[in-house]
Amino acid sequence: MADVKVSRLGIGFASPVVLASGPAGFGIELASEIALARLGAVTTKTITLHPRRGNAQPRLVDCPAGALNSIGLENPGFDAFADSIQPRVAELPVRRILSIAAASVSELHKLLRKVATLDAIDAIELNLSCPNLGGAVPGADSDEVAAYTRAAASETDRPLLVKLPGDSGNLVQSCERALAQGARGLTLINSVRGLRVDWATGRPFLDHMYGGLSGSAILPIALARVFEVRSAFPDAVIVGTGGVNTLGGLLEMLMAGADLVGIGFGLMVDPALPQRLVEELERWMDERGVAAVNDLVGAAQRGGFDVQ
Amino acid sequence: MDDKTIEHDDATLTGSRFFWQRAQLIDRRASQRYARVLLRGPGVASDVAVGQFVLVRYSDDACLPRAFSVMSASDLGLELFVKTEGRVREKFATAPRGTVFEIRGPYGTPYLDKISHARKYVLVGGGSGAAPLLYFRKRRPELVAGEVYGFRTRDAAGLLHEVSLTAEREDGRRAHEQLASVWRPGQGIIACGPEPMLRLIAARYRDVDDVYVSLEARIGCGIGTCLGCSIETSSGMQRICKEGPLFALRELPWLM
Repeated sequence: MADVKVSRLGIGFASPVVLASGPAGFGIELASEIALARLGAVTTKTITLHPRRGNAQPRLVDCPAGALNSIGLENPGFDAFADSIQPRVAELPVRRILSIAAASVSELHKLLRKVATLDAIDAIELNLSCPNLGGAVPGADSDEVAAYTRAAASETDRPLLVKLPGDSGNLVQSCERALAQGARGLTLINSVRGLRVDWATGRPFLDHMYGGLSGSAILPIALARVFEVRSAFPDAVIVGTGGVNTLGGLLEMLMAGADLVGIGFGLMVDPALPQRLVEELERWMDERGVAAVNDLVGAAQRGGFDVQ
Repeated sequence: MDDKTIEHDDATLTGSRFFWQRAQLIDRRASQRYARVLLRGPGVASDVAVGQFVLVRYSDDACLPRAFSVMSASDLGLELFVKTEGRVREKFATAPRGTVFEIRGPYGTPYLDKISHARKYVLVGGGSGAAPLLYFRKRRPELVAGEVYGFRTRDAAGLLHEVSLTAEREDGRRAHEQLASVWRPGQGIIACGPEPMLRLIAARYRDVDDVYVSLEARIGCGIGTCLGCSIETSSGMQRICKEGPLFALRELPWLM
């Protein structure tokens, strides 16, 4: 029987399929209907120090093979999260990655000092790439990436992942800086900045003009970024996220170099998708005689792999 | 069409609201701009409360599914009343009977859990917004004081024979104008339709007790997790797919 378990960051994950930050909320609503224990981890919605209302409607716009989103990091803020949400997150039968973001390095320090008081968090994902806040994202500038990562790493002993944009800045350089400043892994990529115009009115659909494109439209972009970064950093832990909504996409992401694969938009369309992907992966590995997920990770870097 | 012809291999949780369930197009009556469709499948919920909606997609579409308020639900299937423009909706107008769609849901808080049962309501529907109100009058006729349905074209009337629609008797007067002649003090209002219609109602009836509006947005997950349908209310951010789609007008200062 194929083994879909993955061990990274000193953590055992039940499978390489993780819920990306955002569409899954905090995983709580899914727990009664989906076999969360089969998943590698749940990444929470991004938490900020202070509550955020997020952006005005519309927040979703259709696109060919995906959607633009402009949620804008709506979240109740750290204190409300810690009081009323975290206790339920702690009971989920799955690894938990806490996604956080901050508007400045000093705010990040404050936030992480509070995060240190939380139980049952397996890793922290520092979101430096939300495209829906207006202005440039910190992840687009490698100096900012270094500053935020250094601050985060100085405040936590937990494994730190840094989530970077797929469409701006010098990604390999940013990854290098993040890893040098204490990041244990990289989450690649966030949704890709996009625009749609309502041709009936001549106006962009979204208040903030731009939104984040997700869905299968961005799979090749995410694969290219993961491949590029895996080539540059053979030992880095990479959570490949972007457009995976089929077994084929999951396999491609692993083979391009991802250790874990995030599911975002795919869950929005089909909440049962992550669980089904684990089952399909297991079946596929059995049929192909692949013993472990590790045999797939980075196969594309190695010129393919030998199975019957 | 026999339900047994539907394969159901991957529905490990038949009846789960989180899983797509296959459903066949059993019946359709279409006009130029609207269609009334009946969908049936073994895993499709029949216990849909008034005001709840389902998500529908056609094949393994990689885009967001479409949300439709349910017009009636029984062992015969789910009946939807839809405008026949747009990706999924066009399929409703053209697909042959027997075509398989996928449905998940129902989602949303039932209207009856949100409204006061101590008064009667004038129902105001605009276009396909009529669907949940037709379900309301069918299930709870004793709570209905009057009805107003507005359509941009009269062709919808031909699809809605079994209910007596104001639209058939009115000469293109907009729903909110008709409302003025139907509504009486002491009555509440439940409105579902395009935002401009809701704004007009909000402006005139803002001081009336028990005015409720059913809101629409592009729905993402449907299960309350993605926050794609969050709106601002007087008690904080709420989700159209979870706490909604019905909200008391007083909760929505931005609409007034």
